[in-house]
Amino acid sequence: MTLLELTDVTASYGPVQVLDGVSLSVPDGGSVGILGANGAGKTTTLRAISGSVRTGGRIRFDGRDIRGLRPDQVAALGIAHVPEGRGTLGQLSVRENLMVGSYLRKDRKAIAGDIDYCLDLFPQLQDRVGSRAAALSGGEQQMLAVGRAFMAKPKLLLLDEASLGLAPSTAKTVYQAIRRLRLESGIAMLVVEQNANLAFSLVDTATVLETGRNVLTGTSAELKGMDEIRRAYLGG
Amino acid sequence: MGTFIQLVVDGLATGSIYAALALAIVLVNQATGLINFAQGGMAVLSAYIAYVFVQLGLPLILAIIIAIVLSFLFGALVERFLIRRFERGDPDTAVVVTIGLLTLVTGICAVLWGYNNLGFPSLFPLTSVEILGAVVSVRSLATAVTIVVIMVVLQLLFLRTKLGLALRAVADNPASAAFSGLPVGRLLMVGWGLAATLGAIAGVLVAPQLTLTPGMLDTALVYALAAVILGGLTSPIGCVVAASAIGVLENLVAVYVPLIGHDLKIAVPFALIFVILIVRPQGLFGRKVVVRV
Amino acid sequence: MNAVAATARRPWVRIVFAAVVAVVLIVAPLALPAFANQTLVRIGVYAVAVLGLNIVMGYTGQVNLGQIFFVGLGAYVTAYGVNHGWNILLVFAAACAVAGVVGLLVALAAARLGGLAIAMVTIALPIVGVPLAKRLSEFTGGSQGISARFTDAPDWSGLDNDQWQFYIVLLVAAAAFLLARSLVRGKYGRAFAAVRENEAVAASMGISPYRTKVLAFTIASIFGGASGFLYLAAVQYTSPETLSFGHSISLLAAMVIGGAGSIAGSLLGGAYYVFVPQLTNAIDPNLTTISQGAILLAVLFLLPGGLVSLPRVVRRLARRTDAARGRSTGRSTAAPPAQTSEQNAPAHHPVPDSALDGHEQTERQDGP
Repeated sequence: MTLLELTDVTASYGPVQVLDGVSLSVPDGGSVGILGANGAGKTTTLRAISGSVRTGGRIRFDGRDIRGLRPDQVAALGIAHVPEGRGTLGQLSVRENLMVGSYLRKDRKAIAGDIDYCLDLFPQLQDRVGSRAAALSGGEQQMLAVGRAFMAKPKLLLLDEASLGLAPSTAKTVYQAIRRLRLESGIAMLVVEQNANLAFSLVDTATVLETGRNVLTGTSAELKGMDEIRRAYLGG
Repeated sequence: MGTFIQLVVDGLATGSIYAALALAIVLVNQATGLINFAQGGMAVLSAYIAYVFVQLGLPLILAIIIAIVLSFLFGALVERFLIRRFERGDPDTAVVVTIGLLTLVTGICAVLWGYNNLGFPSLFPLTSVEILGAVVSVRSLATAVTIVVIMVVLQLLFLRTKLGLALRAVADNPASAAFSGLPVGRLLMVGWGLAATLGAIAGVLVAPQLTLTPGMLDTALVYALAAVILGGLTSPIGCVVAASAIGVLENLVAVYVPLIGHDLKIAVPFALIFVILIVRPQGLFGRKVVVRV
Repeated sequence: MNAVAATARRPWVRIVFAAVVAVVLIVAPLALPAFANQTLVRIGVYAVAVLGLNIVMGYTGQVNLGQIFFVGLGAYVTAYGVNHGWNILLVFAAACAVAGVVGLLVALAAARLGGLAIAMVTIALPIVGVPLAKRLSEFTGGSQGISARFTDAPDWSGLDNDQWQFYIVLLVAAAAFLLARSLVRGKYGRAFAAVRENEAVAASMGISPYRTKVLAFTIASIFGGASGFLYLAAVQYTSPETLSFGHSISLLAAMVIGGAGSIAGSLLGGAYYVFVPQLTNAIDPNLTTISQGAILLAVLFLLPGGLVSLPRVVRRLARRTDAARGRSTGRSTAAPPAQTSEQNAPAHHPVPDSALDGHEQTERQDGP
């Protein structure tokens, strides 16, 4: 069952056309990566899905057309977007950030249980539960952002450049936790990542974008084996 | 000593009015990043609305409640239809819009009720009570207490409820809050509605003393802005403390420093501001705001 | 349309145009009736005040609610000087200087605060100014105000009083406008614009936002003082009412309506200030405030560049209609007016379009 399907999606910021016909699909519970260089349109693709930018083309989620919906409406349908730069609610505490994630839910007991799960997933946050989120390190903020997205119990998680600005070891820790999350919860994921190695540790298939268009699509195994990919994104 | 206590209590009462307006200004600023110069004007309109219902024969408390509810709606609609367009742009342009709103609202009051001073009934009895040998106005005491209670309730709302959490999230990072499903537009309307409500309460409580006229809260607005500058835009508590201090100080100075007297006491908070802010630009309580390019 | 624009750009056309305007301005008062001259004089007075306000607010982006205070201050200094028999040039200089110094002091403190603090502080100027003017009655004549006549036409000129006043105002106003124009087009103008766009970026370019704001504010107050001098020249009387809060807002509204960030707009602003409140007062004094507010909001929503941008807007609409009808004009649209709100990046997280406007018309009911 296809959970998310993009068909020939275009997007522009004012007069600048960033997406020029992107197509991809994410199966139920699946994990798909979006790779590419800076400026290829990876982040814009996620923003197109979550309704943060004007788009053309077709975007279907769970059988319905979601193009043109506001971000909060998209979130209500079960898509959680962890934006580039994390989007931490800096003035709120760690616990409050997680609570905000569960805003649309009404099952209070389960929410409390999920907060505990988050803290188990990201033990670094346990001591910081009451601290203001802006005081956290980059890695901790990234974990918090993923945790907040999880708190919505989404069907699909949009992950944007989770490794950005993080030390390699921290990024690895974050991705390990996300992998565990995926295995234990079965949430589908669409992962934008410049670090192809990290991406391949999390996704089954991936598509490569260049100047707003797909240029290559395949399973992780296939792509890892290709020379172009190795040279361009895996450092030879 | 008796006069002193009297002045302090009266000062706390007027200070609480400034505090209510200051808090409303801070609330709006935290949510939408701009200063609403029409906050006082809107409060005056609320008082006039209560006046209308009193004239129609309703008991005062009912009239006040109706006015408060209508003010909430008015604040929400102003955000949606007047201010929304200017929220993402230059805050200085948005300020001019609020000044236009102030003029419009004052003008509406002038057209409907003229410039004459109208009497507004007092919610609290006009008696006095004896405290520590001083004769203190019950109305002043009750006004101060009422506003403090309301501010505490508001703080609880913000810190303990889901709505309050949502309002704070939207104030912090609206785009990111939307990703968690928060209806940003609607929450902004609620924020402005709450601010208008605060103003309305201040308006109906102070109207009996100042008498109802379109420009009734112009001076109070200036004091409220001074309180916001002194207390810092990021600290509601700081503003309340500053507002109370301003209220008390202006009363004391007016009486004990005849050179300044009643007519020039308005200069006091600003002299204070010039002095304090040369040393500490973020106000007494505020945190330094980091501007990211 | 393009042919006209191209012609207008040729230097000799501009010189001839300027010469024609100059001649008209010099000859006009001799031909016009006294009432017309007096009206034009008052337009000139307020145009200078609006021009000053434009420099600090329209060009540098700092909301200044106290400009009228400096006008009043200049008027009072002028009255004082005249009544003490000072030389008229000294009086003028004093009016500008005193206003400038006070403005400088206010700016030094207020500009430090950043953000909207200048607006919040300058609002106090007219509000403190009125009781102050009433109190310092030895200088100001208290609540009664103070009169000073010094613009009666001297016998050697052979002119009537209103014509003489016209020339005085013309002289000062022309000087002010030319000065403003050269200021705005030079490096200071660029500093103003940079600070208005984004202070952090300006700082990284080596422009000190603080100093620029102080400079702009001081210049604005000097212009305000000059306007006060002209005010007394025209009206020959001033009182605490001159610098009231209501007038302060009217002046600001006049600036926006005439055209923020525009020299020519200041002239329109002055005209607006003189005509419109007079008109509404004649119909019904209670209507003045509400119409002011309504007009100001209408301009902010529909014509943010002010009246001075009207021809440009009309032209753009005409072009769009032409293009829609399939007759392409081949020229790209003109650069957007510098004074619209769109481009700035405020420190506060801007509320993004998408979060608010998306498709609010749809009936979808989302969460609680």
